[in-house]
Amino acid sequence: MTTTTMNYSREQRKHGKVYLHPLPVRLWHWLNALGFTLLILTGFQIRYVDLFSLMSFETAVKMHNWVGFAVIANWFLWFVYYLFSERVTNYHPDLDPKAFFQRYFRQAGYYSWGYFQGDDKPHKVQPHDKFNPMQKLTYQFVMFISAPVTFLTGLMMWDVQRFQGLIEMVGGLRVVNTVHVLMFILFVGFIITHIYMGFLGKKPSSHYKEMVTGYEEPHD
Amino acid sequence: MKLSVVWISLLVATAFLAVAPATSADEVTASDPDAKCLKCHSKKLKKALEDGETMFLQISGEDFGQSVHQVIGCTGCHRDVPKGKHPSRQPISSRREYSLKHNETCSQCHAARHMDYKDSVHASMVAAGDNAAPVCSDCHSSHSIQQRAVYEPVSGEPCSTCHQDIYDAYAQSVHGLARSNGNVIRESHIQAPICADCHRSHDVTAVSAMDYLRDTCLECHDGAAVAHEKWLPNAGMHMKSVSCAACHSPMADRRVDLQLYDNLKQVPVAQQDGDGTYQSRLEEIDAAGDGLDSVELWKLVRQGSRQGGAVDVTLRGRMEVTTGVDAHRLAPRGEAVRSCENCHQGGANGFENVTVSISMPDGRKQRFEADKKVLNSVVSVDSVGDFYAPGGTRIRLLDGLLVLALVGGLAVPVGHIALGKYLRRKNRNQ
Repeated sequence: MTTTTMNYSREQRKHGKVYLHPLPVRLWHWLNALGFTLLILTGFQIRYVDLFSLMSFETAVKMHNWVGFAVIANWFLWFVYYLFSERVTNYHPDLDPKAFFQRYFRQAGYYSWGYFQGDDKPHKVQPHDKFNPMQKLTYQFVMFISAPVTFLTGLMMWDVQRFQGLIEMVGGLRVVNTVHVLMFILFVGFIITHIYMGFLGKKPSSHYKEMVTGYEEPHD
Repeated sequence: MKLSVVWISLLVATAFLAVAPATSADEVTASDPDAKCLKCHSKKLKKALEDGETMFLQISGEDFGQSVHQVIGCTGCHRDVPKGKHPSRQPISSRREYSLKHNETCSQCHAARHMDYKDSVHASMVAAGDNAAPVCSDCHSSHSIQQRAVYEPVSGEPCSTCHQDIYDAYAQSVHGLARSNGNVIRESHIQAPICADCHRSHDVTAVSAMDYLRDTCLECHDGAAVAHEKWLPNAGMHMKSVSCAACHSPMADRRVDLQLYDNLKQVPVAQQDGDGTYQSRLEEIDAAGDGLDSVELWKLVRQGSRQGGAVDVTLRGRMEVTTGVDAHRLAPRGEAVRSCENCHQGGANGFENVTVSISMPDGRKQRFEADKKVLNSVVSVDSVGDFYAPGGTRIRLLDGLLVLALVGGLAVPVGHIALGKYLRRKNRNQ
């Protein structure tokens, strides 16, 4: 912990900025962005062959499978990094739900009012606590529930016979597919919102630059 | 007793003397004892039956003499002809009744074959009172019974007697053409199948029985599973849920059959199960008679599974061709359906026609019409849990949720930007 804090200090001294997103996290994030974009595109193609024709169904399935495995591997990159990093505190649950949800609604109020008034952000971004309550709850759900459930159901459908026992245990192939598609729907909604929220930094490009360089963009 | 012995001896002696010239003239046609029978039965004998029909009793000595049964002679089968009381005056109700009676006679020598036959779909149809269902003599004839080799040429006999339309389809199929062209179907020169090779000759099985026909195909096409795995995702599941003919008879119409299946016993649910039959339950559930919808299907499965917990009923879906004729129009490999889009899209031909089926005791299925929307209903997530074709049977409710997610996702930036503009204008005005 001490060593890492010293690292932060050294990096901050060197650049004069807060080092928010270490390289493994940035690497994971952009690979994930690319992977999920391809998964959503191929997922649309698999599900709606009768509506549009970006590629053949066969190509879409093959690409979906390969990219799916890459995204699962990428998830483990994220997981292992945070497992052995003190930055895992970013994903720690808040033990005081009442206080958490007070801050949650304060953040929602900021986005819907204070943001337009030029108010200060209610949550101060720090390397070990970089997510505001709305982000934290969303990312906890996405990374610990949605993504693993999507991976698991995707794996089951990738090789139905291999996972036949598991599929039957959860209620059949149609249940597995329904859950997979529900997660897909959530991701579609999440990604659109996520891309937009990325523009809500000090400048529209601030958060995007941060996710490339790793350093928090300076406040005016 | 003594009188009858004398009488029989005289009869035999007389018969021997009477037929002696005939046997010497035509030694091939019949054995000596049989010639005695043929003395009368070579003539145009006939017997009036109780049903008003007439049974002709004339037998061709030449045909019988060339049949495989020539060695056992007339009395090999007609052991019941009462000595000294022939011709019998016992009435015969119908030709069918007489054939059925002699069907059992065959079992005296051909016990194993007869046991096979008893397990066949033909025998079960006979037992169910179907007068068109074949007994031994319908396929083998009564007195001109030939060696097995006679049935092997691709003539369709005897199956085509009843299944002419199916035989015509077979004759034009990759199998039929290969057989008639000298078996040039494969480089290894494996003989292309005739009817009995797939359907068996005596234990003729209902082709609709779960995995029977697929396994039969794989007996010859033993590399098919591996070959499919090379290009077809989830090849094993495809081969389980799609009949071979659904792809290899490319011109055929297809349907999805949802068979009631017992998950605990791992067997198709029998028509007669628990209290009453499934047919009566189906008729009760689908009182309107307009085909089962998704809710009715769900009720059927739930009711089946409630029976003391002894049955865990589900519906096992399978894509298949709609008619037996289509099932025999098998095309060369290169013409088989290869495109995934053929099934994996909304409105695909195979999902326009849905049936629910129950297994009959002989393996055949009793089918009931179902609404095609059952494949796209969220209610079917439970009842049709095992059958899902991405794209083709997608759940419509999820399509709606996806649209909602897209609209909702876009509403966040649009709403937020609009809110910002509104607040800034309001601030300026103040």
